[in-house]
Amino acid sequence: MIDELKLFNRKIESIIKLNKEILSKQKEILQLLNKNKELEYQSSSNVKDTMALLSLPASLRKTMLALYKIGEATAEDLSRETKRQRALESDFANQLERMGYLKKKRVGRNVHFYIENPLGGLED
Amino acid sequence: MTGKAISFNSSRGGTGKTIMAVNLAALFANEGRNVILIELDFRAPSIFHIFKEAVKETPTYWVNDYLNSRCKPGDFLIDVHNIFNTKGKLSLGCANPSIYAIEDMVRKSRLWEANALKKLFNLKDFSFSNLGADICIYDTSPGIQYSSLNAIISSDLIVFVSSSDSIELEGVGSILKEFDDVFRNKTFIVLNKVFPETDCWSNDKDKEYARQISKDFKVPVIGLIPCYCDILKANRNQLLTFTKPNHPFVMKLEEISQKIVSGW
Repeated sequence: MIDELKLFNRKIESIIKLNKEILSKQKEILQLLNKNKELEYQSSSNVKDTMALLSLPASLRKTMLALYKIGEATAEDLSRETKRQRALESDFANQLERMGYLKKKRVGRNVHFYIENPLGGLED
Repeated sequence: MTGKAISFNSSRGGTGKTIMAVNLAALFANEGRNVILIELDFRAPSIFHIFKEAVKETPTYWVNDYLNSRCKPGDFLIDVHNIFNTKGKLSLGCANPSIYAIEDMVRKSRLWEANALKKLFNLKDFSFSNLGADICIYDTSPGIQYSSLNAIISSDLIVFVSSSDSIELEGVGSILKEFDDVFRNKTFIVLNKVFPETDCWSNDKDKEYARQISKDFKVPVIGLIPCYCDILKANRNQLLTFTKPNHPFVMKLEEISQKIVSGW
């Protein structure tokens, strides 16, 4: 009987120990989540979301919508989509790049415009 | 990419946009088109409840999971064309109706919503290019919310469903006016639940009424549907296209579907 009680006590102690470990892990997770939320909040003041997109002048919004539709595009691709002049699309896209709505990169001799994943990470 | 994405929107709730989106999706599939119906109303999801008797199992993934990057674009779709014997494919993407999922979606940040917009464009591209869809139908939240705006921005056609109530119509008008260039040439209005006893049903005045609304909002009215008491009384999970294909409501939807297609 005493042995059984001792065994039971040991089991209880190990459960308490495991519970403490779980609690400490939960605390760590909570801290990480809060930190993430803080970072997200700090960066969200300049987020280029739908509202920001809708507040753009119609001329610039057209370029943005074309880029969302095509994905990565040159000024030439954009002009085909919007049916506006290439030079105009190049101007608009560069303006949007300066405003932080899109990114650009050089691919060979061409400049490619693209919209970065707002939360980072890989595409689908 | 040759398919079309159509979003169903309203300025207020209860206009009948879900019943319309669901039954139009079924009509298009019956005609032989490959249709994907995606629910973007994360605050009041209903598509799963509408189809759950027929589908019988809980989906492994929801649209929420895709937007939360927990699954790939096609993973959350449920193919139901064998259940309803539609000529074309009919796939559903349901919003998660659990209270935890709703709470999670309500708390989303602007950054998350910006990412969701990009994911919607990716989903549309994937649906047309990889899944061979002809039509994607988005059922959205009423009013101006991120999910509905994201749907509007990523759609090729926008259908505003409204009753003839003046407050509702004013709401539609103010949204259309505010983002005129976004809506221009790709928006339609459907007036639903119009009371039969109002003047507009007598002496062909319905056509005149629709013309007047079109003129006021500078957007074509492609359908004027009377308020059918039996539809209001029936359970919302009635898929009228399949259960009552000769119901006047379904007939009206057929006319609307033809007008949508002819407007492409």
